[in-house]
Amino acid sequence: MSSVADLTAGPLDTLDPPALDAAVAAFLYREARLADESRYEEWLALWTDDVHYWVPSGTADYDRDRRISFINDNRNRLTTRIRQLQTGVRYAQTPASTMRRVVSNIELLAVTGDEVEVGSNFVLYELSLQATNELRIWAGRSTHLLRRREGQLAMASKVVELVNASQPLPNLAFLL
Amino acid sequence: MNPGLRAVAASLDISDRITPEKVHGSLYTDPEVFEAELHRIFHLGWSFVGHESEVPGVGDWVSRRIGRDPVLLVRTREGEVTVLANRCSHRGVQLCAGNSGTTGSFSCMFHGWTYSLAGELRGVPQPVGQHTDAAALSLSRPGGVDSYRGFVFANPSGTAGSLHDHLGTGGRELIDWAADLSPVGELDLSAGWLGQRSPSNWKMWAESDNDGYHLGRLHASLWRVAPGTQYESAVLAGEERVVSTCRDRGNGHIELEFWKGYDKELAWLGAGREKVADYVDALVAARGLERAEELLWRGPPHALIFPNLFLGEMNLAIIEPVSAGETVHHHTPLLLAGVSPAFNTRILRQSEAAMGPAGFLLPDDATASERMQVAFSGTGGWMDLSRGLGREVLEGTDRVGHVSDETVNRGFWRHYGAVMAP
Repeated sequence: MSSVADLTAGPLDTLDPPALDAAVAAFLYREARLADESRYEEWLALWTDDVHYWVPSGTADYDRDRRISFINDNRNRLTTRIRQLQTGVRYAQTPASTMRRVVSNIELLAVTGDEVEVGSNFVLYELSLQATNELRIWAGRSTHLLRRREGQLAMASKVVELVNASQPLPNLAFLL
Repeated sequence: MNPGLRAVAASLDISDRITPEKVHGSLYTDPEVFEAELHRIFHLGWSFVGHESEVPGVGDWVSRRIGRDPVLLVRTREGEVTVLANRCSHRGVQLCAGNSGTTGSFSCMFHGWTYSLAGELRGVPQPVGQHTDAAALSLSRPGGVDSYRGFVFANPSGTAGSLHDHLGTGGRELIDWAADLSPVGELDLSAGWLGQRSPSNWKMWAESDNDGYHLGRLHASLWRVAPGTQYESAVLAGEERVVSTCRDRGNGHIELEFWKGYDKELAWLGAGREKVADYVDALVAARGLERAEELLWRGPPHALIFPNLFLGEMNLAIIEPVSAGETVHHHTPLLLAGVSPAFNTRILRQSEAAMGPAGFLLPDDATASERMQVAFSGTGGWMDLSRGLGREVLEGTDRVGHVSDETVNRGFWRHYGAVMAP
């Protein structure tokens, strides 16, 4: 079990690689747990002010202003998304799905100053409790841009490329 | 369809499940009804396949289904748009996998039979042994394919009469209205499609897409966090204050006239004239002041073209029936030709907000439909669709009710009952 590394000392690219690895993994696991448990406020607090939360309709290689995406949130839209979930009458998540996801294959793709780009894979089991009680499996790759903020990591960008992003999907009203 | 199912489709009588005031839920859940629908609605009738702007170049194709049958919408070498079975005439292998592409010809992966973009059989490997004449082995195609303002429809049996008559004045007006919003009179459906897969019946989607009664309740979570939308005056302000209407245009084409309740022009775009001055100028120049003013107030229509085309304001959707208990609701932003990229990006952002499995509206509609499917899946029961019967009025041949009335549901089911008669 890794303890949270001390990130107050200096820029991320001056940390010992194992310490940075541990800090990044701890962040991803925590983010996954908060999403799994629909802890909306705490999950939202993981973001920096400049939000880029993107679930593309395919590989993340296209112009988001020309082609449609499942989710393409800036700070304003993500806040609306979270507030809607918090009303208690977002019926597509009332009650919230029970979920557990496994995050793995974590790779640090780039470390520059106070930012680190991280790739990881996930498998998510979702029990859709709103109508059919169907167990749904989601899988894909996440690419996070993490940034040092007040001695801790926060996420500025999260891009989720679903394995089945080119296909019709069931309700995706939870936090991916 | 296998012979047994065809016999069911030919003989099934559902007339005792539809009355002027109520409809039996088994029409959503009964597999025999579904088979009959595939035959009587999607084979014997017209349904929407795609839009010409989706295949702008020679050899462009997109994959679709008519009922359950996979087809290709293709731009031929002559520049025509046609619809072909996505099925080799030899052994029945699906020719194209994937959602879309561009090709010079269609070649089967199994034995290499090759077809022109118009579906003619052009090449057979080892041709000496070929027995049947190539002319008889073109890709099969719907008996009727026709388009209106770029909207391509197909009638597989070729027996449904003209598309002109299927659309009727009501359907053509709705399509005109959408296309006329473009200064050059053309839509540009180039932003791709999102599919929402839902364990619910396709007719629930035709109905919920065009239900003016549910917005305040089912979608309350959105209005609480996104106040100030055009829907407040159009539909949320309370039954007595709301002046919007719903309209049964006949032939199963139904409409919600939100525009009557808007409180300002361009409310549908969420932007005043000053922000889209170029668009306003271009529209006035193209349409004349009177029509342009009308379009700027109304924005795009909110309507179903029976059975499967939803003109959903800034979105266009196809309702794809998969089985009695499964539907895919595909949507694409209603982008306009002849406007700035920024204008279309605005439409794209609105579309992402509203529709799709992660949108702020559609997942709640899916949940309601899925709960209907669950609740009707046993012995089921009747639905009451009488709302507004005492106050709807005739305008010409249209029935018009309060926007919250079930005039539109009754219009849908009346036409459904007529085309489903054996």
